[in-house]
Amino acid sequence: MLVGGLLAQAQGDPADALFDDGTLHDIRLTISPRDWESLKEHFQDNTRYPADLRWRDVTARGIAIRSRGNGSRSGSKPGLKFDVNYYSADQRFLGLKNLILRNNTQDASNMRELVSMKFFKRMQIKAPRESFARLFVNNVYAGLYTIVEDIDKDFLQKNFNENDGYLYEYDFDESTRIPYAFEYLGSDPAKYVPLPFKAQTHETSPRADVIERFIWTVNEAPAASWRQRMDEFLDLKAFMRHLGVENFLAEQDGITGDYGPNNFFLYRFENKNLFTFLPWDKSNTFWASPDYWIFRNIKDGPENFRNRLVLRALTYDDLRDEYLNTLLECAESVLQDGWLEQEVSTEYERIRSAALTDTIKPFSNEQFEAAIEELKTFAKNRSDAVRRMVAEERPQ
Amino acid sequence: MSIARILIVLAAAVALGSPSAARATTNDQETTQPAAKPDKEKKAGKEKKPDKEKTADKEKTAGKEKTPKKEKKAKKKSDVPAPDEGPSATDTDAAPPVPADQVEPEGPGTRVTWKQHPSFRIGSAFRMDIQAKFQEDIRDTYVGEPELARTDLHRNRIGVQGRLFKHIEYELERELTEKELDAGRNPKSPWKDVNVDLTYIKNAQVKIGKFKIPFSLDQLTGVTHNDFVYRSLGANYLAPSRDIGVMVHGSFLKHGLQYWSGVFRHDGDNARSSRIAGGDETVAARVTGTPFRVMTQGLGEIELGTAFAISKLSDDSFRPNGLRGRTIMTQHVFYEPVYVKGERRRWEADMDWTVGPASARAEYMWVVDDRQRQGIGDDDLPDARSRAWYVSGTWLLTGEKKERPVKAAGDFLQGGWGALEVGARYERLWFDSVGGTDLPSRNPRAETILPTADRALTLGVNWTVNRFVKVQINGIREHVEDIERNPVPGAAAFWSRIVRLQLVL
Repeated sequence: MLVGGLLAQAQGDPADALFDDGTLHDIRLTISPRDWESLKEHFQDNTRYPADLRWRDVTARGIAIRSRGNGSRSGSKPGLKFDVNYYSADQRFLGLKNLILRNNTQDASNMRELVSMKFFKRMQIKAPRESFARLFVNNVYAGLYTIVEDIDKDFLQKNFNENDGYLYEYDFDESTRIPYAFEYLGSDPAKYVPLPFKAQTHETSPRADVIERFIWTVNEAPAASWRQRMDEFLDLKAFMRHLGVENFLAEQDGITGDYGPNNFFLYRFENKNLFTFLPWDKSNTFWASPDYWIFRNIKDGPENFRNRLVLRALTYDDLRDEYLNTLLECAESVLQDGWLEQEVSTEYERIRSAALTDTIKPFSNEQFEAAIEELKTFAKNRSDAVRRMVAEERPQ
Repeated sequence: MSIARILIVLAAAVALGSPSAARATTNDQETTQPAAKPDKEKKAGKEKKPDKEKTADKEKTAGKEKTPKKEKKAKKKSDVPAPDEGPSATDTDAAPPVPADQVEPEGPGTRVTWKQHPSFRIGSAFRMDIQAKFQEDIRDTYVGEPELARTDLHRNRIGVQGRLFKHIEYELERELTEKELDAGRNPKSPWKDVNVDLTYIKNAQVKIGKFKIPFSLDQLTGVTHNDFVYRSLGANYLAPSRDIGVMVHGSFLKHGLQYWSGVFRHDGDNARSSRIAGGDETVAARVTGTPFRVMTQGLGEIELGTAFAISKLSDDSFRPNGLRGRTIMTQHVFYEPVYVKGERRRWEADMDWTVGPASARAEYMWVVDDRQRQGIGDDDLPDARSRAWYVSGTWLLTGEKKERPVKAAGDFLQGGWGALEVGARYERLWFDSVGGTDLPSRNPRAETILPTADRALTLGVNWTVNRFVKVQINGIREHVEDIERNPVPGAAAFWSRIVRLQLVL
């Protein structure tokens, strides 16, 4: 069970200190050496192993850890999920049931995820809290990780003051790699849950029928009543704002990503049919260059990869304006006090030593330094590039 | 499997036992058997009986079923039982062949007969009985169990058994229903009993091949002869069941004392799954006796049994290799296996009492697994312990003498209604660790394993329609004691209901 003096005296959310991104934390795991080797050997499995977790003087004994991730799964530096209450439903760690340690194996800079989520929050969009940590396994340094707040009932309660709605994770089907672009698949609810929408709450009665009606409305509702019907399911302006932030960040694997829609949660509020999108896994932001096109996979890319919801929403002038205005707002925001450049520099200073001594990472130190330089360049030039693209879209 | 299909099968099976079918059977017997068998032959047959039926687990009742000589003489030749009708066949999965020279005179040539089973014979040198077992279920349980198929072709097995010359008996049985077999890392073999029994020495017969490890009265009771649709929790999750090995077995004191002792490659199908590797080399022994035979005249027969099994346990698999606990029908895992290494020690004691139309059984099982160097810090952990018990009773309302299988005094549609029996069983299966000072936990490397258990009450009605067909109706009330592993909301007790149609040829 949970012990630790900090918790007893904590005011507010005891996990705030863990997600304090101004600190490089130390997370310590005690696990059977055989289990640790086994977890790495079988990193594609979701087999859980028992371990003790410690942060500062707070310890959770007998938690379950497992390998996690899709493309980021690694046998040398595994992404980890801590199920604090798997073996004991009452157990919490700083009030949390789950915790994620992202291995950043797809991001040489290690910071795209963390900086992106900070920017979402800066833009008043709900996003998970994150911070950096050095992971020690049986007292041996096991690499630089990002601590990520799981999107679960605790997250919902904290952010929406309710947690009994229907939460779904978009689950990209790695086996077929066929994208799902919000097209209507028919009236059978089973075509929507558990794939591509995997229920995270109400797992035994996930009410896929409401998703089916939502997707039907997106695709099939007549133009004359589309906006009115969509109001039941989605705050379209909030959605366009979410999309604007994501595409300002040049997200290559998001709602309008190169692989079809990906990396988001859907939450349907209690006693409503209203959904909201929640951002997830932003390791592919800051993609390519500051000139990443704001209509990538919207006006270009394979037809079957284009998000039907986005395409239809952008046919409405007010929604299109919301999207473009959000992009401009982002451009302004990152320049205020040089926020984005400053953020990249600050995080770089915080993690540099830990990253360079992380000998398990799948990148060289030179690649790490080069990736940081790319981010700095992006931070410096993205606003101008976006303003230019928006201007081109709105000829005077 | 639709209900309609089940009804069709039922109708066909009942028809098999109908007067016309009986006439056909009689004709068959008349053409293949001489009218009477000289007493001398009968006597010879009786002397041969121990060969198989009195030696295996199934023959545990052979002694008590032995009827007075007078009664045997009164028996008509045409009523000679088919292999799994005979009392000696009680408690077997695969019915043993009745010695050929006991059932009917051996002719010099090749013959095909069919009473209970189609049978192919070559003089007295070779006999092969073809057998089939079908069990179809209609079932229901708590709301929110979407995995449970409401109709289920539960078991579909075919096999052969017989003998070669006088002292070599054999059996071969295969499961046809693939879903009975787990896929994955350690798939279960579709082959059930595949073995040869050498009966040259009456008190030291040798069985080689795949068969049940001699442990647990309930597990050793044949699947078509059970009093209830499902075996007890202990028999299903603690007893080993089948494996490949060599066993010596025999009986003394006119079957008042019987023994089985063998070595096996692993510790049985029940300890393995697609994720659980199971134990390794296993030594097992079982002894049964009727110590009160003289004292309990008129009170039926009480047989006592006990068994032990010791297996090696490795931690080669990266997954836990301990035993698991599951609910009866839905097989919901309420106790996950823990990491183990060292030795697995099993012990059981059982009692089997039959008196007239009634029977009672009780059994206690105890298993401990070493957990050498299985702690999170590679330290030794206290033993993991699993225990189970049950008590059960049955009563034949139609008055027949209790046997397994039950023989109806009058078959349905042949002047009778079959045999009607009621039964009840109460049982518990539970897990914990022996000692430990830490806070109890469910984690598989916990020093102190959080105790958990499943309690179950089964109420049943069995209708033996005729020798081929049995219908079983069971209601099962279960309560998983660990509220976090209980499959129903509110951690409440829940009912499962099942109707099983069984057809044995």
